[in-house]
Amino acid sequence: MAVLRTFLYLLVYPGILFLFAYSTFSEWFDRKVYARLQNRMGPTHTGRFGLLQPIADFFKLLAKEDIVPEAADKGLFNVLPAISLAVVSTAALLLPLWNFDLAKPGLTSFSGDIIVMLYLLSLPTLILFLAAWSSTNLFSTIGGARVLTMLFGYEVPLFLAVLSPAILANSWRLAEIAAFYQAKPLLLLVNVLGFLVALIAVQAKLERTPFDIPDAETEIVGGTFTEYSGKKLALFRLTFDIELVVASGLLAAVFLGGFPGGVVLGLILFVVKTLFVIFLLSLIRALTSRIRIDQVVAFAWKILAPLAVLQLLATILLKGFLS
Amino acid sequence: MRVAAFLPELLRHLFKKPATVDYPFKKLEVPANFRGTPYLRPELCIVCRACERDCPAEAIEIMAVNEAEKRFRMVIHNDRCIHCAQCVDSCPTTPKAMQIDSLYELAADDRHKLKKDWVYVRAVMKPKPAAPAKEPAPES
Amino acid sequence: MSFQIPIGPQHPALKEPISLRMTVDGEVITDADIRLGYNHRGLEKLAEEKTWVQNIYLTERICGICSHSHATCYVQAVEKLMEIMPPRRGLYIRYLVSELERVHSHLLWLGVAGHEAGFDSFFMYTWRDREIVMDLLEMISGNRVHYAMNTIGGVRRDIDEGQKAKILEGVVTLRKRSEYYFGIGANEPSFVARIAGVGMLTKQQAIDLCAVGPVARASGVARDVRKEDPYAVYDELDFNVCTSDSCDVLGRVVVRVMELLQSYNMIEQMVKGLPDGDIVVKAPRKAKPGEALSRYEAPRGENVHYIKSNGTDKPERLKVRAPTLGNYPATMVMLKKGFIADIPLIFAAIDPCICCAERAVTLISARSGEESVVTMSDLRRQALDRSKNTPVKGKSVWPF
Repeated sequence: MAVLRTFLYLLVYPGILFLFAYSTFSEWFDRKVYARLQNRMGPTHTGRFGLLQPIADFFKLLAKEDIVPEAADKGLFNVLPAISLAVVSTAALLLPLWNFDLAKPGLTSFSGDIIVMLYLLSLPTLILFLAAWSSTNLFSTIGGARVLTMLFGYEVPLFLAVLSPAILANSWRLAEIAAFYQAKPLLLLVNVLGFLVALIAVQAKLERTPFDIPDAETEIVGGTFTEYSGKKLALFRLTFDIELVVASGLLAAVFLGGFPGGVVLGLILFVVKTLFVIFLLSLIRALTSRIRIDQVVAFAWKILAPLAVLQLLATILLKGFLS
Repeated sequence: MRVAAFLPELLRHLFKKPATVDYPFKKLEVPANFRGTPYLRPELCIVCRACERDCPAEAIEIMAVNEAEKRFRMVIHNDRCIHCAQCVDSCPTTPKAMQIDSLYELAADDRHKLKKDWVYVRAVMKPKPAAPAKEPAPES
Repeated sequence: MSFQIPIGPQHPALKEPISLRMTVDGEVITDADIRLGYNHRGLEKLAEEKTWVQNIYLTERICGICSHSHATCYVQAVEKLMEIMPPRRGLYIRYLVSELERVHSHLLWLGVAGHEAGFDSFFMYTWRDREIVMDLLEMISGNRVHYAMNTIGGVRRDIDEGQKAKILEGVVTLRKRSEYYFGIGANEPSFVARIAGVGMLTKQQAIDLCAVGPVARASGVARDVRKEDPYAVYDELDFNVCTSDSCDVLGRVVVRVMELLQSYNMIEQMVKGLPDGDIVVKAPRKAKPGEALSRYEAPRGENVHYIKSNGTDKPERLKVRAPTLGNYPATMVMLKKGFIADIPLIFAAIDPCICCAERAVTLISARSGEESVVTMSDLRRQALDRSKNTPVKGKSVWPF
């Protein structure tokens, strides 16, 4: 029974099937909001309101010809999309959705899972760099170098911003942090600055405008994905969709009070809160133009990092004041 | 410099009707004098060949089918037509034998399907020809 | 680490084929090289086979954006050759369409600049409002892109009172929107960060390298054919030449937006002061032998057409100097010391119309990489040799 439960948990909810459905839905939501902000229609025809468009895109890409460059490191080139998908799906399992017991740590909810989650979210970036490097294309190489350069910019502010609410909650466990803020919702207001910093850092992590520098099509063609096609590109795109869900889920769990209330209410809260975060991310995407790589690093270290440190300082002071 | 200068405009449009049109399902109106596809009114054509000579894309062809019967054939190659309506301007008859309509959805899977032809007997000019309006007389 | 990256001939930042070879050191460009000739269509030769009337439509197709510019420039030259003067109403309508075209071209460029910088919202909004002027042009001429308004000796369509009212109404909206976009373009921090101080071209460089149009004006050189050598109706209109001293891409944005506002004024002046009378005079089918040169300020800069006539109904020679060609040397200077990320913006900032400028091809030997110049007699000899040595068609086997 326990085995069956685990399988259901892994494959159906909140495992790969739910993730696939929900991440394609969030891609649709992102595209639709982005389009409507620009006074366009967005996806319209596949399914009702174009809901099935991301799924159709995915299957279409699966059916396309898959080309591996002659000079590429074939093993690495072929296996990386699957690894990146596995990594972000694993990260998704750590979201405090419903299958956890606050009193008793389990496999998917344990002390320190927030750190594991952050590292699992960093891995796709490194995988992207490897993918770019192994495809040996000139544009990919430049894209890969940009991925790593950007990583040095946004990673520190993201960690500082996400960990400061954990310090206030006095726990390294996502479920406990969420429970702490559910008990004292007013304390959420303390973390608004950290939320904004984390939002921008997540935008950079997901490589969306203004940080879509590694795959800036008008500069370096496909960037990191220049040589990827067919199934592998489909997997990478799915990775990014799932990463969008996981990252927004993480922000919702840490900054917006998590998803209490069991299976049904929890799911509804999860959907509402992640969609809110995705909406904000879409808004940033529509509001800005792509900036240069040197500007990203300067921005991250001159503005984001000091703000994150400020947030940390405020949190620590407040914690001393409260205790 | 203002952070998020575009924000009010974007948010205002979030719930507005999109500016784009759901094209193949809804169509836009074309203006009154739209230059669409050229066509011939064979009962008026006097076979002066002004349109054939002036067509920049050489899309109009006039051939004699039977000289004795004064029977001619005109082919308009819509695959070559650039919709400039010079043929309409060049046509010396009143009312004009060459006309242009406002059809713009001309796509076909084979360029030969775009050909249109008319076989007709040459029209005779009326005894009192209305002075051909603003058309350079073919003097070459 | 220094290496060479090829931008083009096929690249998402380029709307037409051209090859830019950038030698980069990390992200910084150290050297730039340009290769033309991917879109050469033999248009000047084709013009020698067509009559004066047919050539209007041929020259119109040199460019898709400034189609009216090339047709007008050609028609001006032919009218000089034929010694005819179009009626004033015809001239007003012709240059009204010119200014509307400038509006559409500059709005298009604003959108493209936004897209190249990754600012897609800006792109979508400017292009949405560009639809207003596209609709006006379609209403006046019946076509959206190649208006086919010009004919030798005037224009082909008159405009009525209802159309006048619609133009004025459209211009009011457009002016409001253009001012708004100016505010966005100069205020959105991420966009300004991308365009300010990028692609510097000093005033002296602009003069030395013969930059034309908005590129020269953004470097503080007040060079505008409409003011320096007023043709047709421009000496009757009240307008300023807009310049900027910032010498960078931001300056080019500013100049173009200010020119938009000047164009709206001119459109209003022309619509309100539209004289009565005919729109066209009858033109002969043949031109006297002679030469004519005509200059025209296209949205991208000075456009020059040279025509030689030999007394028949066809030109003996048509030479087109499109504005983009004049801006290539300046672009090479602008690109140096820039970042890879700046390439699309700097290149887009000259508003390149690549196929306009494709008047020549370079011959490069595929084996040795040597460039060579072939004279007409050489080409003729080679062609003859080739036809002598090739087998008779019936016997040849595919592939040849």
